[in-house]
Amino acid sequence: MSASEPSPGPLTALDLCGGVRADRRDFIRLAAWGGAGLAVGHFGARTLWAQGPSRQPVYAMILVDYNRCTGCRTCEAACAQFNHPVTVDGEEQRGLGNPSLSNIRVHAFNPDADVPVVCVMCRDNPCVAACPVEPDAEGRRALYRDPVLLTVRNDPSRCIACGACAEACRAHRVGAIIPNRETNRPERMCTLCGGDPQCVALCPYGALSYIKGGLDGRHYALPPERIAAELIARWYGPAQGGDVR
Amino acid sequence: MSRLPGYWGSVLEVDLSTGRTGRREIPAADYEQFIGGRGLGMKLLWDLLPEPGVDPLGPDNPLLFMPGPFAGFPLPSASRTCVVTKSPITAPVASPHRHASTVSYSNMGGFIGPEIRFAGYDGILVRGRAAAPVYLYVDDDRVEIRDAGRFWGMGTDAFDRAFTEALGDRRFRTCYIGPAGENVVPYASVINTAARAAGRAGTGCVMGAKNLKAVAVRGSRQPDVAAHKRFLEALDKARAGFRGTPSTENWRRYGTGSALVASSDNGTQAVRNFREGTFEHIERIGGLAARRAVWQRDFACYACPLACKKAGRVADGPYPGLVHDGPEYETGTMLGANLLIGDLGGVQRAIWHADDLGLDIISVGGVIGFLMEAYERGCIDRDALDGLDLAWGGVDATVELLHRIAHREGVGDDAARGVRHLAGRMGHETAKFAIHSKGHGFAAWNVHVQPGYGVSYATSNRGACHLNGFTPDRQNGTALVDSVGVCLFARGGYAAGLVEQVLESISGRGWVDADYAAAGERVFNLEKCFNYREGFRRSDDSIPDRFFEEPLTVGPRKGAVVARDAWDRMMAEYYAKRDWDPATTRPADARLQALGLEFARVKLPA
Ligand code: SF4
Ligand code: SF4
Ligand code: SF4
Ligand code: SF4
Repeated sequence: MSASEPSPGPLTALDLCGGVRADRRDFIRLAAWGGAGLAVGHFGARTLWAQGPSRQPVYAMILVDYNRCTGCRTCEAACAQFNHPVTVDGEEQRGLGNPSLSNIRVHAFNPDADVPVVCVMCRDNPCVAACPVEPDAEGRRALYRDPVLLTVRNDPSRCIACGACAEACRAHRVGAIIPNRETNRPERMCTLCGGDPQCVALCPYGALSYIKGGLDGRHYALPPERIAAELIARWYGPAQGGDVR
Repeated sequence: MSRLPGYWGSVLEVDLSTGRTGRREIPAADYEQFIGGRGLGMKLLWDLLPEPGVDPLGPDNPLLFMPGPFAGFPLPSASRTCVVTKSPITAPVASPHRHASTVSYSNMGGFIGPEIRFAGYDGILVRGRAAAPVYLYVDDDRVEIRDAGRFWGMGTDAFDRAFTEALGDRRFRTCYIGPAGENVVPYASVINTAARAAGRAGTGCVMGAKNLKAVAVRGSRQPDVAAHKRFLEALDKARAGFRGTPSTENWRRYGTGSALVASSDNGTQAVRNFREGTFEHIERIGGLAARRAVWQRDFACYACPLACKKAGRVADGPYPGLVHDGPEYETGTMLGANLLIGDLGGVQRAIWHADDLGLDIISVGGVIGFLMEAYERGCIDRDALDGLDLAWGGVDATVELLHRIAHREGVGDDAARGVRHLAGRMGHETAKFAIHSKGHGFAAWNVHVQPGYGVSYATSNRGACHLNGFTPDRQNGTALVDSVGVCLFARGGYAAGLVEQVLESISGRGWVDADYAAAGERVFNLEKCFNYREGFRRSDDSIPDRFFEEPLTVGPRKGAVVARDAWDRMMAEYYAKRDWDPATTRPADARLQALGLEFARVKLPA
């Protein structure tokens, strides 16, 4: 184990969403039930890997272990580096990692709690549902799910920049979508880095996992303020705060 | 003007007297010679203060927030922001200049340094003085001086929350002062994230004197680099260098807190106002105890793999429920061992109050230790302490005194001026245990067993400093690291030559080894020139008599004391290595010329 001693064990949105999935074994079973297996990078102390045979699209997402996150924001830079490459001397290279472009964003709170926020790949995608653009022949609105990775994508050629998707995510889920400051088109939807998530690979603390699986059709979305309040209550207890003379 | 890659080419300049804001261009040569952070801050300070004796509390004293060129890139542990100004706390033994004082620099980790660079600046220069409390708002190119009246008087913890709320976006990175800075306590700190501090050397005092409560920065941009591919290679190398090493593990587990017990065991800790080097109850407040009873979570600065920041909660004892960082080595020693407080909850309580008030914990721990000793010896009585029973180990009295100092009430007003002032008021023999150099209090590493720390304290350009280094080479190296903006705790994680390699890939400027080392020496000598011009001389490079006259009486190093002749030899060796006149400490002309400091040399008195 690294940082903490005694090790607190993982604490993720699965635990915080009503406490239904507090147990890691449950979680793994669920994922297996989803039919496609599970790939977990740094979950808990063990590395788990189980790949199912199905070729169906699989819901996948980045899961944060709040007990491990230190708020270092390496994930933000790693995300921006991968998703915003630059061409140097005719060669495509990773970028320099401007965190204001990142699809994962770490929110800091006082008392200390850091909450990385990233699209949780809701099955019912209220963001997509909110898009007023008429579906095209393939049934796609201006916001749609990628057929392979099921990530949320924007078609800028049809997007009317109304901001409804960002508002839906903010109001009902995690606030993953941030409209572009100039164009107001939706940005910062996690791409899963095409299947090799860089935030997971580069988090120095093993706080992020790439999980694939059915996840029982639920979404594990809580706004960062709610997560922070829960973490603060757990870590620092009810009487948290400063002191009086 | 040709711009050096990796830099924006300018700092944000704000004049609080006139309300004017704009950019101040930095010549490429200054970046090449002084790099950034502490070094470039020093160069700007030199340029902005052409004459000695400027009042540090007056509008003419500049206040600089200086990240280094590594800030803004995801390099490990490179987030330091050096706050540079003219010191409000140091003074020479004798000087023709009324307000003579040293340079002041103090750096803090966190996120604001990178954010300054994301906003498009290599630093922030604050001049003048606002008529009423203000804060500085920076959102890329949008720069505003805003009213801070409703925040004035707030402790840093509550302010941190209220300010974030008022700014409306957690992406703003902030730093600020507490009541101590507002009341111009000379050793007030600049705080960020309610716990990280640019604590030393009075930077928060200067901020308060300017009526500047806080700085808030948000940025969306990023500097470029000269050699993209080589930068990425160096970045990968740097990241890999920290992965899974025992040192990384230890930082994560204990932070600087691991030194609490080790230092006491070695007799090198500040205990009982530096009278002793070992504290019998150290295990109660050390890293293991804190990990068990207080620390809940580990936190890291921007892109840092070490997470040395420990956030915790006091579980039981007389102060249950208190939530705060610590103890670290310095805070646990200066508000613990040095005051003979051996109760972890009590130490945490004192740390919380000192941080909330915005007091430098190292300095104020020294001041309270001095007063406890003076009280024990009968040099000051309870009346003179406004009724405080300042016995060793008293938590409540310590907390009470912290408040009186920050608000400058009664004895707190004298205590706010530091140990040298107090000793001056109390009489001659107290000077022996007023633990300072140039008026700046010692940090938590004691001297008897390690006289090298005495050299570090005596020769530091900001007044006593434990990070300065025992030897010129080490001191030059520290000045470099502070200029690049890498955390001192992380310098060992960068393989030999890697910092230079990164710097080359960023700026495109080639650094040969000797050239790079000279940059550190250049920074240190420019600081020295500043001090020399102010009137600091050989007799200012001293440590108190305590270390020569009072051997340790407890612990495994019982009997240890510094021998005067050995000390004199060390200092003579130091000046010889520096090429400074051993009688006056004036740097040799040829040395200054070789370092490219002719512009400073011509300003020195003969
Ligand atoms: S890189 Fe890991 S530890 Fe750092 S902020 Fe992101 S999730 Fe947290
Ligand atoms: S988290 Fe937001 S963006 Fe992602 S699927 Fe859910 S609603 Fe859509
Ligand atoms: S901003 Fe574009 S993608 Fe989002 S809801 Fe409006 S039209 Fe659809
Ligand atoms: S998986 Fe890739 S796109 Fe998604 S948050 Fe992580 S780094 Fe960014």
